[in-house]
Amino acid sequence: MEIIENQKEDVSIFKLNGRLDSNTSPVLEKKLVSAIENGTRNMVIDFENLDYISSAGLRIILKTTKDLKRTDGHIVLCAMQDYVREVFEIAGFDTFLPIFSTVDEALTKV
Amino acid sequence: MPRKNVSIKLKNRISELERLGQKLQAFGEGIGLSKKCLFQIHLAVDELFTNIVKYGFADHNLHYIAVTLSHRDGKISIRVEDNGIPFDPAAKQTSELKDPLEHCKIGGLGLHLVKKIMDDIAYERRGGKNVITLVKYIPHT
Repeated sequence: MEIIENQKEDVSIFKLNGRLDSNTSPVLEKKLVSAIENGTRNMVIDFENLDYISSAGLRIILKTTKDLKRTDGHIVLCAMQDYVREVFEIAGFDTFLPIFSTVDEALTKV
Repeated sequence: MPRKNVSIKLKNRISELERLGQKLQAFGEGIGLSKKCLFQIHLAVDELFTNIVKYGFADHNLHYIAVTLSHRDGKISIRVEDNGIPFDPAAKQTSELKDPLEHCKIGGLGLHLVKKIMDDIAYERRGGKNVITLVKYIPHT
C-alpha cells in the first residue's frame, strides 16, 4: 500500500496504490487522521491505482467521511475500477459518497 | 479453462493476507479468471479469513485456517476451515446499509459483501471444525 499526497489549492488529493485490506488499512487511517488534525477539510481520494479493497478499507473511508462532516469538510472519491465501485454500491456507500470518473471532475465537485 | 485445485494453509495472523492475495492471484491467472471475478473471490476469502482471525479463537495461540479452491465446470468452489469457536456466517443476518450516514452501522459489513458477491454460501460444523463452502459461477465473457 502506497499513498501519494498532493495539494491543489485547498484540496488534499490522496492517490492510493496497491491493496487496501485489514493489513494495510491502518496506514491509510493514520495518514487521513493526521491530515484532518493538520487542518485538511477537503479531500479527494484517487482510486485509479487501487487494485483491491475489503470492508476494512470501506470502514476507513466511512470513518473519514464522518470525521470531515463534523468539521464541515468534504470528501470525494474518484477513478475506481468498476469492480471496486460495485463494492461501494453493494455496501450502500454510493448513496452518501460522491464518486466521479476522474480526478479533474472530482476537483470541481469537492 | 483447465481444471485446477489449490490448498492454502494460513496462520491466524492478519499479516497472512499478503500471502493469501499472492496465492489467489496465481490461482486466478492459472485458470484465466477475469480481474473482476478474481477480485470477488479474493474479497470473499479475505472477509471470512479476517473474521476468523479477529473473532474465531478464544485464545491467542497459533491456529491454522485452511482455504481450498477448486475450479470445475464453470464454477469455483471455495472451502474455508478452522478449528475455532462455532460460528455460522451463512445464518448471520446482515442488513442493507442504506441508512443515512449518521446511522450507518459498519458491523457485519464484510459478511454482507460476501453474501452479495458469491452465488452460494453454506456452513457445517464437522469434527470440531467450522467448514464454510462458497460457490462462484464464472460469468461467460
